[in-house]
Amino acid sequence: MIQMKSKLNVIDNSGAIVAECIKVLKNARWASVGDEIVVAVKKARPVSDSTSSSLSAAKIRKGDVRRAVIVRTKKEIRRPDGRYVRFDDNACVLLNNQQQPLGTRILGLVSAELRYKNWVKVVSLAPRVI
Amino acid sequence: MDQSKAIESLLMLETCSFSGYKIYPSRGRVFIRGDSKTFRFLSSKTASLFHQDKNPRKFAWTVIFRKSHRKGIKEEVAKKRTRRNVKYNRAVVGVSWDAINARRNEKTEVRSAARAEAVSKAKEKRKEEAAKRKAARVNAPQGDQKLSKQQARGAFMKVKPTSR
Repeated sequence: MIQMKSKLNVIDNSGAIVAECIKVLKNARWASVGDEIVVAVKKARPVSDSTSSSLSAAKIRKGDVRRAVIVRTKKEIRRPDGRYVRFDDNACVLLNNQQQPLGTRILGLVSAELRYKNWVKVVSLAPRVI
Repeated sequence: MDQSKAIESLLMLETCSFSGYKIYPSRGRVFIRGDSKTFRFLSSKTASLFHQDKNPRKFAWTVIFRKSHRKGIKEEVAKKRTRRNVKYNRAVVGVSWDAINARRNEKTEVRSAARAEAVSKAKEKRKEEAAKRKAARVNAPQGDQKLSKQQARGAFMKVKPTSR
């Protein structure tokens, strides 16, 4: 149940740590797992300019506005078999404009909802999908 | 009962992380903690208690409580625990197994006859010894007084009263 101003943990290695939702990219107030949102990066890992020139991944700084996909929510999600699953936090993975993940690794769990919503690349990068 | 068992065999039933009850499909909730550990709850009751950090061991209706306090296990245990004493045929030091067996299987008449014999033998022996002692006493020197053990040791002897 992510909406504007919701804070999410960023669980890829793009460099961002915390992102704030600024827009839900569907015609609804709330976004859930597998929905795309626009985020502003609120907290990021420090980027040192000298070493980062060799990196292929984009540099994420605090204040960047990016797209992201929600991978975990604290609000329970209903599964087709009728059970409800909820996680301990809200988390997202940053995306580029082609809907591909910005980072090269994902750290932590993601919800299996992503498979149904065709986020194949994210699911394949994730170490564990529940 | 059979129908439920049939159903159970088809489904994978989860167990509640708090109460230990079985969770049928489309019932209850799943909570995945930050450390990736999965908890399944049968109902909002168990979920709520879990999130209040309650210890299921303290709730008498949970499976964990019943197991730790060994409730409902006594009937099973009582059935299994009928011990049977096994009899061993074993020899003892000094007496071989054959000797034991022979003694056991002795007939009462044989035993009583043997006993009577032994008794009569003993009597005879005693008679002989008594006769020997008498003879020895008669031949012994007169001066020998009967010394008690204490006297032989040299202990102080009370003077015996001769009149009351």
